[in-house]
Amino acid sequence: MNPHISEQFDAELDAARSQLMEMGGMVEKLLRDATEALVGQDAALAEKVKLADKRVNQLEVDIDEQCVNIIARRQPAASDLRTLISVMKASTDLERVGDEAGRIAKMAISLADLDYPTDEFSDFRRIATLTHEIMAGSLDAFARLDTDGAMRVIAADQAIDDAYDDLVRQRSSKMREDPESIEGDMCIIWAARALERIGDHAKNIGEYVVYLVRGQDLRGRGKHQLG
Amino acid sequence: MTSESTTAPANSGFQSETANHFGETSTDASLLVNDLCLFYGDQQALKDINLSIPRKEVTAFIGPSGCGKSTLLRCFNRMNDLIDTVTVTGTLLLEGQNIYANDVDVAQLRRRVGMVFQRPNPFPKTIYENVAYGLRLEGKIPRKELDERVEWALKSAALWDEVKDRLKESALGLSGGQQQRLVIARAVAVQPSVLLLDEPASALDPISTLKIEELIHQLKSDYTIVIVTHNMQQAARVSDFTAFMYLGELVEFDKTDDVFTNPKKQQTEDYITGRYG
Repeated sequence: MNPHISEQFDAELDAARSQLMEMGGMVEKLLRDATEALVGQDAALAEKVKLADKRVNQLEVDIDEQCVNIIARRQPAASDLRTLISVMKASTDLERVGDEAGRIAKMAISLADLDYPTDEFSDFRRIATLTHEIMAGSLDAFARLDTDGAMRVIAADQAIDDAYDDLVRQRSSKMREDPESIEGDMCIIWAARALERIGDHAKNIGEYVVYLVRGQDLRGRGKHQLG
Repeated sequence: MTSESTTAPANSGFQSETANHFGETSTDASLLVNDLCLFYGDQQALKDINLSIPRKEVTAFIGPSGCGKSTLLRCFNRMNDLIDTVTVTGTLLLEGQNIYANDVDVAQLRRRVGMVFQRPNPFPKTIYENVAYGLRLEGKIPRKELDERVEWALKSAALWDEVKDRLKESALGLSGGQQQRLVIARAVAVQPSVLLLDEPASALDPISTLKIEELIHQLKSDYTIVIVTHNMQQAARVSDFTAFMYLGELVEFDKTDDVFTNPKKQQTEDYITGRYG
């Protein structure tokens, strides 16, 4: 992309994008810490996640303000407009990812109070790995304006949904067989539910990348229509 | 360059079958431009322009200075005929009729295709006479009917309420924005089918500009409007379709919503986002 005649405009757009990337990095760390706190039943780490979520919320407000100012002052069009709209929408999704990480942290604190076996997290770990990958993939695609990467992210969400369904099914039968562990199993199901939602947010970010680069709105399209 | 059958000097007219051929394919187009080239002497200012201007919609021409947008606009009512060195080739159909044909009465053409310029140019006459002027050229009109048509034109131009009590005063006493609306009233008084606006608001303050833009929005239910503007936000605000021109060529023509959110050509993108091309 050629630079703007106004270098200041380039600097403003870069600043908005950089702030989104900073927010993305923060949210990725929150997500890692939250899942680690759950499987490690580490209440202290979970408390840190809850605190850090507040900073993520503030970053969303800052990014919105920055984008609104650019829109008011520059009246951006075409790819500049799509960039700002995508940055604003992606920051909303990232803020929600932060909220979901906070939910996982809450479950980690509850789980830490229970005497729950430490070797029963393989299904949760599987979803967590897929979720970390999809989050990293969506942020990477945004940073590089990589539509191929974005399309892979959009497609990858299905694997998380499937893994979540498996987890719920298996944990449900386990709860029937072993009612004593219901409380802990429910914590894990709720935490997995949060991961499944994070997958949806990452998919949204992938869709914004396609909109930003190609001007194409993929929302509401079935799998067979994506290409 | 254009083929033999569609090329001819500006003042020699075109073959009528060509006009009919294109006329039949243009039911939604008010103006149909086909392979239009324009030369100032040896200098080519318009290069193979193909364009269909939709009826009763607003079409904006945008592009940097010297891109040919005003030159193209002036082809639509043959204003370029006033320059001796100009040669035009290609076809330009108004409602299916070739406006460069031999038998076209240019004065009549300019009544069908009204034009408003950058600087308001009212005649040094009363407000009433400015609007009645074109009507009087049509022949003797009874006073009552003339009054009615002047009132209608001033209402159409959203000026009536401001001037109804001083119709006999000089038009030169009006503000710039009012003068521009008076000129638009003068143009619509003769009920043209097309209105050409050449940077109609560039000499006006922001409030007068918004009034002109609102007027354009109202007028499009009755007229095909083509506007040349340097103000891209104005093009985005007032037009349904946008044509981006560069160095005498039509680079992109599409719905305004598409041009300003997702243009197809890199040159358009660079221009409307303010980048180095």
